[in-house]
Amino acid sequence: MPQRYDAVVIGGGHNGLISAAYLARAGLKTVVLEKRHVLGGAAVTEELFPGFRFSVFSYVVSLLRPEIIRELDLPRHGLDILPLDGTFTPLHEGEGRPAPIGPDGEKIGTGDYLWRVNDHGRTVRELRRWSKLDAEAYEEYGQLMVDMARFIKPILSIVPPDPASNDPRPLLPLAGLARSFQRLTERQQAVFVQLMTMSAADFLGQWFETDPLKATMSASGIIGTYQGVRSPGTAYVLLHHYMGEIDGAFRAWGIPKGGTGGISNAIASAARANGAEIRTEAAVARILTRGGRATGVALESGEEIAADAVLSSVDVRRTFIDLLEPGTVDDDFTAEVQRFKFRGSSGKVNLALDSLPSFTALRGEGEHLRGAISLSPSIDDMERAYDDAKYGHWSRKPYVDIVIPTLVDPTMAPPGKHVMSCFVQYAPYHLAEGLGTWDDNREAFGDAVINRIAEFAPDILEKILFRNVQTPLDIERTTGLTEGNIFQGELSLEQLFFSRPVPGWARFRTPVQDLWLCGSSTHPGGGIMGANGRIAAIELLKARGRKVA
Amino acid sequence: MAGPPRSWDAVVIGGGHNALVAAAYLARGGQRTLVLERRERLGGAADTSELGPGIRVPTLAHTVGRLRPSIQRDLGLGRHGLSLIAPEVRVFAPRADGGAVTLWSDVAVTVDGLRAVSSTDAAAYPVFDRRVRVLGRFLDELARSTPPDIASPGLGDAIAGLKLGRSFRGLGRDGARAILRVLPMAVADLVAESFESDALRAAIAWRGVRYGAVGPWSAGTASVLLMDGAGNDGGAAGETVFARGGPGALSDAVAAAARAAGAEIRLNAEVASITSRDGRAMGVVLEDGEEIPARSVVSGADPKRTLLGLLDPVALGPSLGWRAGNIRTPGVVAKVNLALRALPRFTAAVDDERLLHGRILVAPGIDPMERAFDSSKSGRWSESPVLEATIPSIVDPSLVDGAPPGTHVMSVIAQYAPYSLEASVGSWDDNREAFGDAIIEVLETVAPGIGALVTHRQILTPVDLEARFGLTGGHPMHVEPGLDAFYLWRPLLGHARYRLAIDGLYLCGSGAHPGGGITGRPGQNAAREILHDLGGRRRQTTH
Repeated sequence: MPQRYDAVVIGGGHNGLISAAYLARAGLKTVVLEKRHVLGGAAVTEELFPGFRFSVFSYVVSLLRPEIIRELDLPRHGLDILPLDGTFTPLHEGEGRPAPIGPDGEKIGTGDYLWRVNDHGRTVRELRRWSKLDAEAYEEYGQLMVDMARFIKPILSIVPPDPASNDPRPLLPLAGLARSFQRLTERQQAVFVQLMTMSAADFLGQWFETDPLKATMSASGIIGTYQGVRSPGTAYVLLHHYMGEIDGAFRAWGIPKGGTGGISNAIASAARANGAEIRTEAAVARILTRGGRATGVALESGEEIAADAVLSSVDVRRTFIDLLEPGTVDDDFTAEVQRFKFRGSSGKVNLALDSLPSFTALRGEGEHLRGAISLSPSIDDMERAYDDAKYGHWSRKPYVDIVIPTLVDPTMAPPGKHVMSCFVQYAPYHLAEGLGTWDDNREAFGDAVINRIAEFAPDILEKILFRNVQTPLDIERTTGLTEGNIFQGELSLEQLFFSRPVPGWARFRTPVQDLWLCGSSTHPGGGIMGANGRIAAIELLKARGRKVA
Repeated sequence: MAGPPRSWDAVVIGGGHNALVAAAYLARGGQRTLVLERRERLGGAADTSELGPGIRVPTLAHTVGRLRPSIQRDLGLGRHGLSLIAPEVRVFAPRADGGAVTLWSDVAVTVDGLRAVSSTDAAAYPVFDRRVRVLGRFLDELARSTPPDIASPGLGDAIAGLKLGRSFRGLGRDGARAILRVLPMAVADLVAESFESDALRAAIAWRGVRYGAVGPWSAGTASVLLMDGAGNDGGAAGETVFARGGPGALSDAVAAAARAAGAEIRLNAEVASITSRDGRAMGVVLEDGEEIPARSVVSGADPKRTLLGLLDPVALGPSLGWRAGNIRTPGVVAKVNLALRALPRFTAAVDDERLLHGRILVAPGIDPMERAFDSSKSGRWSESPVLEATIPSIVDPSLVDGAPPGTHVMSVIAQYAPYSLEASVGSWDDNREAFGDAIIEVLETVAPGIGALVTHRQILTPVDLEARFGLTGGHPMHVEPGLDAFYLWRPLLGHARYRLAIDGLYLCGSGAHPGGGITGRPGQNAAREILHDLGGRRRQTTH
């Protein structure tokens, strides 16, 4: 007779751990099963090279829901988020504006850059260097986006209704939303509609004329999607990435002390403190069912674990195609799951550096290196990177989002040395015929990324001690994310809200009794947000008539 | 005949087909209605023009199968001279390798042909066709209705209203879920869910991108495909119906119906501005200074031109002015009209001339379409554009009855040709003929020797379309048919109910819901709302 749990959670990523923490907190006997030796899923810190620790996949945080931080008391469990200040967009020589003069009256670079910081006044001054109109529009735009994020934030904690069901009750939260929608000005309403329907480039083009500004801002519209900045629907992803910015400071992007694994460890510690059991190197082979109900899981070791409820934090395809016996759910549902689009489009290059690189646009080790460094010189550049990917080739001149965590958290590398995290788009999971596999393309892709960086910081080439290239295939192999999609399924309009992951099944429940989804495949989607894991746990507790402690 | 200046109930700006439909319904509703057309002829984009002696071509639009049947009935267009021709072949999509996909009006015949392409696709086609028709019926309900007032009841209730809507329920549980999933999709994904043959995928997906500054991989193009089949017999293949005498004949029939109902129509009467007082439209002023007062002003022009070109900026206001300025009108279509001394020989149609009776689509696959789109994104015309051609003179010899025997006319919609060319490319005047040559080259790949048959060639670039038809950005749909200009927010959120910006001003053209194409729907819907506001004597509009 195997031991029995109230709930077993498949996967020790941040959402799985959050679900477990909430369930344990409510008194459920809960166990988390993680296949790897390390917790966190895509939010892990690993020592890839002796002395050099990396946030191997996910590398910045902003979306983590404040109620989760509060309710699970994460700071007490070691969560410490260090702010990232600003976004530096270097340009090729001659693409910029008159170079500013440094404090010592010296030119400190060609001046071909756009540099936005948290200090609003400074940013506006910098924008005036480019366009007076944009400098003015920037204020208005920022305020508008804050308003939009504030309006849409409640959606993050809504359980999406099934529009086809005849039960009106789940629609009530929508009615509330409709009321607050009516309280918006007509202009705000119009802008909201545009956010839900437009491309990031078209949307931003309504306010700004400065190409590198539009390109850099539009970048957050394509993160994790297989879309270009000119693709309709990307303005929504823009907003998705703004959500975090209204909790606490404006543009509150930060990096967790000790890397993104620091978040996972804090959540795990909170879960354990609430009595949850967490097992690593415990890969689930099968979800056990009897009479259409989930009754537990079987590990690859053969061990069986019985539970009244099974929560899967792995993506919807892994859950229903890989872990369930064929025939457990009907063909229509299976077809919908097969239809759900993943097509990972992102890669990651982790570099160990002997010392900091110097950008020709603004030389030296100034504070411009302490924030995000965005290789996004123009909208056309961004779009061309996508056009490569559309036809199954990794971007020859990719968009790269660079962070150097050691500048805010020196513990990540030996003294004086640095780690550099390079998030890259596009790296399509499905490569064109004739291009071979990702195993054949990994190093060529890595070279393309480093050469792209060298366009703006030539000395990077001498400073690389080690490099680690993560292709979508690697991401899938290591984390289990289908097709390497970092959001467990594309954030495209047809895969949001009541259609995420399957139309009619957006309420965390599944056609299999007692089998629940709590990962990023569910509403409201991916990123280190945790809303999915929290709502799923709360829904399960409600269904069990338990108080959400 | 109207006498000297008198006050009109409705003055209609523009004599395009939607404006004429609106005028006809208004006149039938007992309103004293005046239509003002800038040009010397009626019809706007639904026009037939002389290409050479005795040779007439569809100037822009070439098929009329989306015209709403109730309009034909209500206005008795048959009685007023409209005669329609519907060939058995809807789409013939030849490839350079001599192969082709053919979509017939008879689904069974299409399936027979598809067996040679792919047995799974042959099996999937009728299912897909049925699905398009089912969803099309719901969208027809959507298209015939005026979008709800969102100030109250509001968006959430609008969704709930939709949900409770008879037709939405009529879709059934799966259909209802499906349509919400499908509408925002990329048409390439939609067809890929059903078909494996790239050629078939492209032949169907084309209607999702036709006239739009989008490629088959762009989100929302599935909704364009489904709207194209709303309320007509299009199905998966799409409609292919000709008006005898060209699309101009349709406009003439509607104009005749409008006149018969008492509407007055003036040509060569260009409206310079819309007059307003205290936020209310008072009438219009013509270029020659003539003032025409009216209880209501109904614009068949596109919303951007109407709001920014004709309305007083003060009456418009800065906020709405900003929004109007951001209405997207990126024209990407050029129209090429050819006179041929003989019927061209298509490699894939040597033994069956019937194949040329419908729309001839040169779009070899999804990726070639997308690549053609790519060049337009950075202001370059595509060197291998997607072509939708028709040879209407085969089924309608009246178009060439004054020409040497054997003469035919070919009407070609060529995409992608962006309105704004990148600086290094130069102006359209520098590029017009080169683009024309590119089109002939593409045609040569499927109809070798066609170039030698050309006796007359007319190339209308987006810039020409703007100049000739007053289409802002040369966009034949008035407003880009994207998700950001759909239903409740076409052309602008809060102005989707045909009432535009100020009291007494209405929009009745393609820029209004449900959008562009020869459907007459915006005109019919707008007339219904205007009659409601004016308190028409008789309601003749269909609901």
